[in-house]
Amino acid sequence: MNNSKNQRDSDIQKKIDHEIRMRDGACKLLAACSQKDQALEAAKSLQTCSTRIMAYMSELQRMKEAQVMQKVTRRSSDAGPMDDRHPCKGKVAISDLRIPLMWKDTEYFKNKGELHRCAVFCLLQLGGEIFDTDMVIVDRTLTDICFDNTIVFNEASPGFELRVELYSCCSEDDYSAGSTPRKLASKLSSSLGRSAGKKLRSAMEPGPCSPVSNGGAAPLLLPVPSVPGPKYHLLAHTTLSLSHVQDSFRTHDLTISGNEECSYWLPLYGSMCCRLAAQPQCMTQQMMSGCLKVKQLGGDPQSSTEVYAVLKGTSLFCYHRQEDVEANVEPAFTIAINKETRIRASEKDPHSKVQNICISNQYGGEEVTHTLTTDSREDTHRWMEAFWQHFYDMSQWKQCCDDLMKIELPSPRKPAPVTPKQGSLYHEMVIESSDDLSSTVSDILARRMQELELRSQLGTSPTWMSVFDENNPKSAGRPRPCTSRLSGHSPCTPHRLPRSPVIPHRCPQLGLLSSDASLTSDSDSHCSTSPCSQRHGWPEPSSNFSLLSSSPSRLRPRTLSLDAKLSTLRGRGYGAGGTFQCPCQPPPSSLLTPLPISSCSPRSQRSTQTTLSCSSSTSSNSSSNSEGSHSPESSEGAPFSRPSPARRSLRNLRARLDPRNWLQSQV
Amino acid sequence: MTSMPGQPVTAVVQRIEIQKLRQADNLILGFSIGGGIDQDPGQNPFSKDKTDKGIYVTRITPEGPAHEAGLRMGDKILQVNGWDMTMMTHDQARKRLTKKNEDVVRLLVTRKSLEEAVKQSMGSGPRQEHCGTPSNHKLMH
Repeated sequence: MNNSKNQRDSDIQKKIDHEIRMRDGACKLLAACSQKDQALEAAKSLQTCSTRIMAYMSELQRMKEAQVMQKVTRRSSDAGPMDDRHPCKGKVAISDLRIPLMWKDTEYFKNKGELHRCAVFCLLQLGGEIFDTDMVIVDRTLTDICFDNTIVFNEASPGFELRVELYSCCSEDDYSAGSTPRKLASKLSSSLGRSAGKKLRSAMEPGPCSPVSNGGAAPLLLPVPSVPGPKYHLLAHTTLSLSHVQDSFRTHDLTISGNEECSYWLPLYGSMCCRLAAQPQCMTQQMMSGCLKVKQLGGDPQSSTEVYAVLKGTSLFCYHRQEDVEANVEPAFTIAINKETRIRASEKDPHSKVQNICISNQYGGEEVTHTLTTDSREDTHRWMEAFWQHFYDMSQWKQCCDDLMKIELPSPRKPAPVTPKQGSLYHEMVIESSDDLSSTVSDILARRMQELELRSQLGTSPTWMSVFDENNPKSAGRPRPCTSRLSGHSPCTPHRLPRSPVIPHRCPQLGLLSSDASLTSDSDSHCSTSPCSQRHGWPEPSSNFSLLSSSPSRLRPRTLSLDAKLSTLRGRGYGAGGTFQCPCQPPPSSLLTPLPISSCSPRSQRSTQTTLSCSSSTSSNSSSNSEGSHSPESSEGAPFSRPSPARRSLRNLRARLDPRNWLQSQV
Repeated sequence: MTSMPGQPVTAVVQRIEIQKLRQADNLILGFSIGGGIDQDPGQNPFSKDKTDKGIYVTRITPEGPAHEAGLRMGDKILQVNGWDMTMMTHDQARKRLTKKNEDVVRLLVTRKSLEEAVKQSMGSGPRQEHCGTPSNHKLMH
C-alpha cells in the first residue's frame, strides 16, 4: 500500500511541476506580448495554471494528512478489509454553457457610451481536475455568453461537486491597464466623460472590487505572481452536483461577486444554462460476466438455457456464446435489471446443493421470474455480489441510471480565426493564393460562411450576410447586424448541430401562447382557449412564416430565462424554443421545422409540460402574472430557479419596459 | 393589408360593440391585445404583413364579452370608439380600451376572412357566407 501512495504522491508532484513550468511560461509570454488578445490568452493560461497548482497542492496536503491519520488509526482498528461499498465512478460532462446577460435597453439599442468589452472564460473544477473554456470577448452587442466547449471529467463519484467559475477581465480598447502611466491616466480620466473615466480608474485598480466583496466564498484564485498585464477576476460561480444532472438543458443560479463599480463587471442575468450529463461506469461497462443457466418460471421446468451473461447498464444480456459479445450479435434474450427488479437467492436445491438466483421483474402488470443457476457456490456468491453492487451503484447515481446519457467527446476543431472588429465584406474575405481565381465569389463566400458557422461562438455575424439571403430582399436594407445565439439543443434532432438555427417563425408561436398579461387586474384569467386549436382555421401564418423564416431581419435577440426554460422542453418539437440565430446560410435542417408547428397543435392541450408557463396554453392556467411574450417569467416551475421576490418584481418591470418584448395586454 | 405610412388604408371591416363586464373594481372586455408602433411587428403571429404595427387581438376569453360580441383572435383593431388605432403605442391602445368611464367600446376590426367572404359573395352570387352580419360589412376608405 505504501508503494501506491508513493506512486500517487510522485504523480501529483509531477503534475505540480508541470503546471509550475506552464505558469512560468505564461508569465513570460504575458510580459513579452504586445497584442491585446495574446495578453488575454496568456493571462487566462496563467489563471488556469495557478488554480491547478493550488488544487494539486491541496490534494497533496490532504493525502499526507490521510497517511498520517491512517498510521494513527491502524493501531486501533482491525486490519480487515473495509466493508463499505463504494459506488462506481463515472464520467461527468458539462457542455453548452450559456450565461445570459441583461443589458439596459439604452445600452443595447441606442449604442450609448463606449463599447465596454470584457474577456471572459470559465474554470470548471471537479475533484482534482480543472479545465478552462475558451475565452470569449463580450460586449453589449451580445445577449449571452456562450461557451462551446464540452468538458468531460473522468473518475467522478456520485457525490461530486462541479464548481463553475466565471472569470472576467476588462478589455478596454485603448486603455490597457498596465501600460498607461498614472499621471496621464488621471489626466485622461478627468478629461474624459464621467463613466469612461470611472471605468479607467477602476481598471487601474483591480484590487478593491474582487475578493473582498466575495462574501466569504473563496475563489480558487491563488495569489498570482504580479505580472503586468490583464488580470482576471472572479465574476460569478456556482456548484453543480448529481441532482443537477439531466439529459437536457437546465438553468442554474449563479452567485455573482463584484458590483457595478468594478471594471470587470458584466450585467449578468443571474443564471447559467448548461447540459450536465453523467455516465456512471455501471451503465457503460460490463460489471460482471460469466456462464449461467437460465430458466424462466412458468416455462418448461426442465429447459434451462445455457448462456453467457453480461451485466451492463440496466440489463443482463444473455448471449448464446461468449464470442457473440465481441461479435456484436444480438443477445438471445435480455433480462431487465433496474430499480424495480427484485433479486433473491432461492433455497438450496436439495440435489445440487447450489443456490439459485431468482430475478423478478414486472412486465406490464405481470411478474416474470428467471432463475439463474451457476456452476459453483463461489460463482453464485460472485453474481449476488455483482448484483448488490449494481443496485448500490444505481441507488447512488440515481437518475443517471435510468437511461444512458450521451456524452459527445469534443472533436478536435480547427483553430478559430479571430473575429475582426469590423464586419465588412472586404475585411472578412481572405482570398488564398492557392485559390483558383476563376472560382466565383459565391464559392468563396459559401466557404466563408461555413467557416463562420463553425466558429461563430461570439454570435455576431457580419452584416453583409444578409445581402446574400435570397429569400428576403428587404433585409438588405437593414443595417443592424444580426446577433446570433447559441441555441439550446433540440432533443429531437438526432445529430446535434452546435448551432442548429431555430427558425424565427417559432417566435410567433411563443407570443401566441403567452400567458395573460394582467395590467388591470391580477386575477387569474378565465381559462384560455388553446390558441393552437384555433390555428387550424388559420393555416396561413405557418406557411407565411416558413417563407419568411430565413430572413435575418425578422430576428431579434432573445435573452433571458425564456430560452433556458424553453430549451428544457422535450419532444415538443420546439427544439430550442426561443433562441434564434441569424440563419444566414439556411441549412437543410430548416426543413425540419415546419413539422413542429403542426405537430404541436393537437398536443398542446394534453401537454404535461407544466413547468413552462410561458409557452403552453395548459400551463397558462397555472398562474403567472408577467406579461409579454418574452418577458422573463419568474413565477413558474422547476427548470428556472426562483429568484428573490425583489428581483422578480424588478425583472417584471424591466420586462415590461423592455422594447424587445412583444407586449400583450389584457383588457 | 400592406400599408405605407401616409397612404389611405382600405379594408373590409366589421363593427363590433362590446359591453364591458364589471368584475369587482374593474371593467373587463375579455381579450388581449398585442402590437403597437413601439413593438416589434415581426413577432406578430397574426399579421399578414410583418411590418404592420397595428393592434391585434391575441387572445379571447371564451364566453367573455368580446367573444359574445363577435370579436375573434387575430382581428386587427382599426378604431375604438372613433379613435384611430393604427398608429398607436401599445400602452396608448390599452388605455383607449380601458377607460373607466366608458361602459361600451365600439370597435372597427378587420380580418382576413372578411375580405374573402366579401369576394366570394360578390363573385358567386347567392352563396351565403357566415361571417358576421352582412349589414355590418362596409368598405372603408
